[in-house]
Amino acid sequence: MPQSSSSSKKHGTDQPDTGGPASKSQRTKMVKSSDDTEKKNLAKKLKELEISVPIVYGNIAFWLGKKASEYQSHKWTVYVRGGTNEDISVVVKRVVFQLHSSFNNPTRVVDGPPFELSESGWGEFEIVITLHFHNDVCEKPLHLYHHLKLYPEEDSGPMSTKKPVVVESYDEIVFTEPSEGFFSRVQNHPAVVVPRLPAGFALPPPVPLEDADKRRRGDTKDHTLSQWFSNFSEADELLKLAAARQQVQAHIATLRRQLSLIDGQHQQLKSASDM
Amino acid sequence: MDAKDILLGLPKPTTTPTPHGHQLLPLPADKKSRPPKESQRKPDGISREVYALTGGLAPLMPSVDVNHLKRRAQSENEKITWQWLPFTSSARKDNLQLYHWVRVVNGVPPSGDYSFAKYNKSVDVIKYTDDEYEKHLTDPMWTKEETDELFDLCERFDLRFIVIADRFPTSRTVEELKSRYYSVCRAILIARAPAPGDIAGHPLVKDAYNISQDVERKRALSMVLSQTKQQERRDAEVLAEAKRISEARKAAKGTDELEVPAMTDTVPDDNDGAAAAVDSLSPSPNAQFTSGAIAPPVSEIASTLASLRMMRVYLRTHALEQMVQAASSSAGLRTIKRVEQTLQDLGVNLKPKVPTKAVCAEHLELRKEILTLLNLQKQLQYKEAEGSSYRDGLYAETPGTPPKRVQRAVEQDRTFVPDSFSFGGERMGKRDQKRKAPGRLLEGPPSPAQSKRPRKFKASDG
Repeated sequence: MPQSSSSSKKHGTDQPDTGGPASKSQRTKMVKSSDDTEKKNLAKKLKELEISVPIVYGNIAFWLGKKASEYQSHKWTVYVRGGTNEDISVVVKRVVFQLHSSFNNPTRVVDGPPFELSESGWGEFEIVITLHFHNDVCEKPLHLYHHLKLYPEEDSGPMSTKKPVVVESYDEIVFTEPSEGFFSRVQNHPAVVVPRLPAGFALPPPVPLEDADKRRRGDTKDHTLSQWFSNFSEADELLKLAAARQQVQAHIATLRRQLSLIDGQHQQLKSASDM
Repeated sequence: MDAKDILLGLPKPTTTPTPHGHQLLPLPADKKSRPPKESQRKPDGISREVYALTGGLAPLMPSVDVNHLKRRAQSENEKITWQWLPFTSSARKDNLQLYHWVRVVNGVPPSGDYSFAKYNKSVDVIKYTDDEYEKHLTDPMWTKEETDELFDLCERFDLRFIVIADRFPTSRTVEELKSRYYSVCRAILIARAPAPGDIAGHPLVKDAYNISQDVERKRALSMVLSQTKQQERRDAEVLAEAKRISEARKAAKGTDELEVPAMTDTVPDDNDGAAAAVDSLSPSPNAQFTSGAIAPPVSEIASTLASLRMMRVYLRTHALEQMVQAASSSAGLRTIKRVEQTLQDLGVNLKPKVPTKAVCAEHLELRKEILTLLNLQKQLQYKEAEGSSYRDGLYAETPGTPPKRVQRAVEQDRTFVPDSFSFGGERMGKRDQKRKAPGRLLEGPPSPAQSKRPRKFKASDG
């Protein structure tokens, strides 16, 4: 703690000259500076961490069947939800869905969870989903691009009004260098993946942004469409990747052996020609 | 008269044939009737064989509208002859009499100077008087005779300093000659100018020739040109890293201008340092190849990580994309395609379906390992090519048993390395079928030295 030691030195030299209130302020300065150092270390640690929020975004589209008209053949919902259906409004302030210009008011703003938008139409197009975060989270918005899918694949049989077309994409929002306020606010929230702080560092427990009731409604676990949500599990992918890596590594080892073998032979050949 | 006509006898004329009935190769039965058709239809101006190239039919549309071709002006009225006549050129100072073909129109030869004389341009080299020399141009390193000689050569050879350097009686480098010439010119300019302001804008006055800079520049150029590929790569990597670091620092420190000149000063040092380090390494080609291939992406990856950090918020899929790009930065398009093919063969999604932190990390590592694998394969191919050239060399020099024995050993250990991998044998490309062992990745030699029998790799393995 270099800071505090230097200030204590100051304290020592100044004491004979100044006394009373001046020395007291020196002492408080000393205490504060040790806090400062701790804060600085914490801030440095936070700079190296990243906070991530798993999300799933996509659309669910129902064919309207006999109720379908030429311009309104499907009813669809585009949305962004937490990866495990937790409430992402702890991080996301509002979501803007930019629709095709043929829609009235193509810029649709959703100010709270659930972050979704339902419409009816006939066409497929790209929707730009812009996530705006709370002020202490991040000032820059983040854009997601989703191609609205209404029509099923060719081989999936006749269209049904009961079974919707579902296209979801899994991703994770990564926040680098989180602020202390942000970190402390979300460190125990189920929607957010927060790395463990190393021992010795601690943050005060979070202050809830809104009261508990409001927060509960923001999750999508009991959403009407939740039966169509896909399950994204990293286990499968991890297994496949591990297996693939093993194969490749074995191959590499084999090739390295062969290379060294040939090297040896080349040395032989070389020495043979030198003789 | 065509040879064919002579061989087949002169035909009797027939009615004009239709284009549709024509054949290139007349049938034996029609021998007598075909030739008349062909010789009758043989167009003037081109030979029969050339005409036959077109399929024997005239083109439907003439490619060039004949009317658009320029007609030689008054070619009918005039009498054109070509004569071998002498000529003189104003470009020559001697009285050399040369001859050439001249187009004479109506007995009148063309007038005017030799048409190429106008290209005889030369440089106006300054001429100084002895007085001026005494006053402004003396130099301890140069005698007046040398300087005079230099200027004479400069005028003769139009400031082609390399030629001048060759011809110069005493040995002087090109840079020394240039330095002397330009400093003399500069001094004369300044001396003769009525006011210094008049010539302040002259390039010689503004940017004088700096001999040490020029020498250094040429030395650096030759160094760069003679760099090996590995050195080039290392330098590029160091420079890229330095650039990224300076950019990152700039962004981090905002408008702290002290950083920038400091970085630019160190960059050339880095360059020299890297070059010196490489020179002193004296690596074997093998080691250089592997390390050279892997080292450059490290700086790309580092800079990508830094720029991602700067973004404050991003999607993990985007981050993975950037990292994959950075890791493959040293690979060409074909290599990248092969990596993707390998991933598919292994049953791995090119873009992970569940891109969590762990999955993305594994994916990236897998890609890097596949790149290493492909590099090693290439190395192996090179080594084998080397091996065969060694063998050829041996045959030429030392015939006898030792080389043959060695050669056989090399053949035995020759491994089958296909251009692309077939994991799981799903892809049976044409290449595989050409080889005698389809679907087998590695053909082990039959000798007992190799204990492990190669297996067909399946996606379910491992």
